[in-house]
Amino acid sequence: MAVTTLSAGTSRRRSSTWIGWSFILPNFLGFAALTLVPVIAALALSFLDWDSYSTPRWVGLDNFERMIHNDTFWTALKNTAYYAVGHVPLTLCAALGFAVLLNQKLRGARFFRTALFFPYITSLVAVAVVWNMLLSPDLGPVNQFLRAIGIDSPPGWTTSTTWAMPAVIVASVWRDLGYYMILYLAGLQTIPAELYEAAEVDGANGWQRFWSITVPSLRPTTFFVLIMLTISSFKVFDLIQVMTEGGPGRSTLVLSQVIYREGIVQGRFGYSSAVSMVLFVIVLTITLIQFQLQRRSER
Amino acid sequence: MTLTVSPPAPVQTPAGPPSRSRKAVPVRRALAYLLLTVLSVAVLVPFAWMVSSSLKLDADVFSVPIQWIPAEFHWENFSNIWERIPLLTYLRNSVFLSLTITALQVLTGSFAAYGFAKVRFPGRDALFLAYIATIAVPWQAYMVPQYIIMQKAGLVNTHLSLILLQAFSAFGVFLMRQYYLTIPDELCEAGRLDGLSEYGIWARIVLPLSKPALASLALLTFVNTWNDYMGPFIYLTDNKLWTIQLGLRSFVGLYDAEYAMIMTGSVLSVLPILVIFLLGQKYFVRGIATSGLK
Amino acid sequence: MKRHLIPSLAAAAALALLTACGGSSGASDQAAGGTQTIKVALWNYATTPEFKAIIDGFQTANPTIKVEPVDILADDYAEKVTTMLAGGDTTDVLTMKNVIDYSRFGTRGQLIPLTDEAKKLDAAKYPGLSSYDLEGKYFALPYRQDFWVLYYNKTLLKQAGVDESKLKNLTWEGYATLAKSLTKGDGGSKVYGAYQHTWRSIVQATSAAQTGGDLLSGDYGFFKDQYSMTLDLQKNGTLMPWATASSQKVTYNTMFSTGKAVLMPMGTWYASTLLADTKSGKTKVEWGMAPLPQRAADGQVTTFGSPTAFAVNKNSKNSDAAKKFVEWASSEAGAMAVAKAGVTPALNSQQILDTYFALPGVPNGDVAKQAFKPGKVVLEMPVSDKSSDVDQILTEEHELIMTGEKSLDDGLAEMSKRVKSEVR
Repeated sequence: MAVTTLSAGTSRRRSSTWIGWSFILPNFLGFAALTLVPVIAALALSFLDWDSYSTPRWVGLDNFERMIHNDTFWTALKNTAYYAVGHVPLTLCAALGFAVLLNQKLRGARFFRTALFFPYITSLVAVAVVWNMLLSPDLGPVNQFLRAIGIDSPPGWTTSTTWAMPAVIVASVWRDLGYYMILYLAGLQTIPAELYEAAEVDGANGWQRFWSITVPSLRPTTFFVLIMLTISSFKVFDLIQVMTEGGPGRSTLVLSQVIYREGIVQGRFGYSSAVSMVLFVIVLTITLIQFQLQRRSER
Repeated sequence: MTLTVSPPAPVQTPAGPPSRSRKAVPVRRALAYLLLTVLSVAVLVPFAWMVSSSLKLDADVFSVPIQWIPAEFHWENFSNIWERIPLLTYLRNSVFLSLTITALQVLTGSFAAYGFAKVRFPGRDALFLAYIATIAVPWQAYMVPQYIIMQKAGLVNTHLSLILLQAFSAFGVFLMRQYYLTIPDELCEAGRLDGLSEYGIWARIVLPLSKPALASLALLTFVNTWNDYMGPFIYLTDNKLWTIQLGLRSFVGLYDAEYAMIMTGSVLSVLPILVIFLLGQKYFVRGIATSGLK
Repeated sequence: MKRHLIPSLAAAAALALLTACGGSSGASDQAAGGTQTIKVALWNYATTPEFKAIIDGFQTANPTIKVEPVDILADDYAEKVTTMLAGGDTTDVLTMKNVIDYSRFGTRGQLIPLTDEAKKLDAAKYPGLSSYDLEGKYFALPYRQDFWVLYYNKTLLKQAGVDESKLKNLTWEGYATLAKSLTKGDGGSKVYGAYQHTWRSIVQATSAAQTGGDLLSGDYGFFKDQYSMTLDLQKNGTLMPWATASSQKVTYNTMFSTGKAVLMPMGTWYASTLLADTKSGKTKVEWGMAPLPQRAADGQVTTFGSPTAFAVNKNSKNSDAAKKFVEWASSEAGAMAVAKAGVTPALNSQQILDTYFALPGVPNGDVAKQAFKPGKVVLEMPVSDKSSDVDQILTEEHELIMTGEKSLDDGLAEMSKRVKSEVR
């Protein structure tokens, strides 16, 4: 969405550069010094061999070569993609659905909104414990219910290599939907009520109003939500670390865990940076694609 | 259960699709309520477990099978915890950090977002992409280089280190920028014609209109900072600087964990957030005057 | 209203920034009046009694040196120390939580050599000392030595009519039979004959120590017997299934101190927890310690264990005082302080044992005294730069075997394959 400038004089452009930078500067200074620089340093580390103490040593593409031949890296990459493919669409739909549902003058809407936000603010330890308990293969309520309705050998959930990742995805959708629901609620406030009224007068039903008014008006919000969801899915660490620690075996091991283990735990900062670089490139590519799609839909 | 069809254009109605045709609504309403109730209960289960555990003895927290209602209610956990760890100090630190970081993020983020959304200058989009790009890198990857910079600046083991690190995040800029894109340029133009500087437009026109986004950003930043463990863990060594999350983790001993205490502390630490959320809801849900197209 | 919003936010933020500058950045050297201050990195100061005991004892013996504890949370201790050192931190003494972390810090050159001080110690009395030998050089001195024993619930044993002396010369077969017979009930009131915690060491380090197998070799056939026994016990209901214990985050303390398990192999550090809990009334279990079960009943007791040590930071500005601290902690005086706190010191002497057994609450019958005279204590995991990689692989495969996701033979084969191909 472009800002239309009424006059295209050079002085206007120069002064708008000044003005633009003056707005950005306070935030940018802090951001550049404390985030941009370390990130660039971290990515540069992927070409070095460094144990955090001795002088770094240039090794070119050795770290990447090691990574390509490392089975754990590929497992983690696969798991991360699996997680993202499950987490992003489910969370987005749930968040949008609840936001629309709860944006009305329902009695008790305030309570429901608070309830849905609870998972996000609950201590991560509690979340992991309770989910593990609910999904406990022998005594957990979920499997007891499944047995009651006739399923003889219900899945082992977090103790099974096949079902651990789906279990983690469900827990993470449950946890994040409140967060993104808030964002959608804020976005819904920008839609003027008159649009809906006009459409209703024209005879549009709920679905049609949703698709022709709500969804298009929410485009900037959806863009934001989609990008944040994608990025955070690829970066996922905390929930998995606490719920399964990447197990059983390596069935829920994700890239951030590999980065953490190789770097902070094993002291192979060069190698872990190489893995970060791969993660970064993947996410950046997806983000750019989303950016382009957004630009195109705006025209 | 009365159904309401929103009356034409009063400023205070919450924006949103009004309900459908009158005859089907009570059933749909009831179903919606049922669904919401079931989901809310499901969603509150871990919290229920947290509360129940906070009233038990450590040894009973993980009894197999799970005891939902504690056999004995150990209310003294809630008074003991204040002596076991300096919870008041930790609370104060958490509040201080969360408020400061939230205020700074909201301020600098919304300020910078205006530049990215409403002012045209060369390199703007590339710079914005750089912002988003850094979000793509997991913190584990650059946490050591960042620490070294902080150490050289002599800021390690101070609250200032965390404030500086988290007050200028790309997330705030991104969120506000997206929101600003929905504010019609005509409003800004009108401001310019009235003789306002860009800063004036930001302060008088754009900022007030973005209350929902500001409120959301404030809430989410507050919650994230409040629950942050790794940041304070790495940067705050002195015990008197610790936050609640660090304090709670100190109950995880070398080879065993005092989960009852951890849950007691977690329940206490969730309360402030709950209060803020309940009070703040009206800022990002209740409608604002969107019919302000002059 | 809105007009005041921005200025007030900005003012508040500025004020906050100014107040935040007032955090201390660590005590500087105080040379006033001749007292030095050294900082010691440790964990969970409030709940780990031996640290306070050592610090208090050292300060009494050395009035000119003050010790300031740097309290780091136990769970992520190694990560924090790594980050601190990467930034050039000057904390004088660093506790080496386990030997694997030690070998990493040592080989990276982040610690001051203590070879001379190590040579002064009588190696015979310090079974854990050799673990700190990195190609002839020592960079840390042990102050604490834990090893594994078999804890048992005296009351439940008596109820089942089993005499304590039976535990003196127990083989693993005997342990399995005994545990099976002690298992009673089911559901919420089930009492397991034995509880084996989820850690891989319980199966793997035990078999390595008792068969002489090498955990770094890449050949793990020697695990077979121990795993077979454990999996059988899991199958017949004597042991809580690993999957349940892991997903419910069961703590061994809960299982034992609430009387849900009769026998439990565990490290000697657990005794200090039991002592503290009994004193505070948290538990009422009557507990005893017996030697770890063996492969054969030939009177030889081999168990595994791990020492804990102090090391001196290369960046320390008070290295002499720091060295004094490290030496004191390993000395007789330090060992006494540690023993009195209910923790097993690195120094092994009769006097230390007597002090330990004289503590109120410590079981001091024949069986316990024998548990404290193991013939051989093998290091839980050999020291090498490959240790933590191998540890990671072995843990992952252990999970798969114990949850039944892989058969025992497949699991052992996979361990070999992965260690040989992935660990460089």
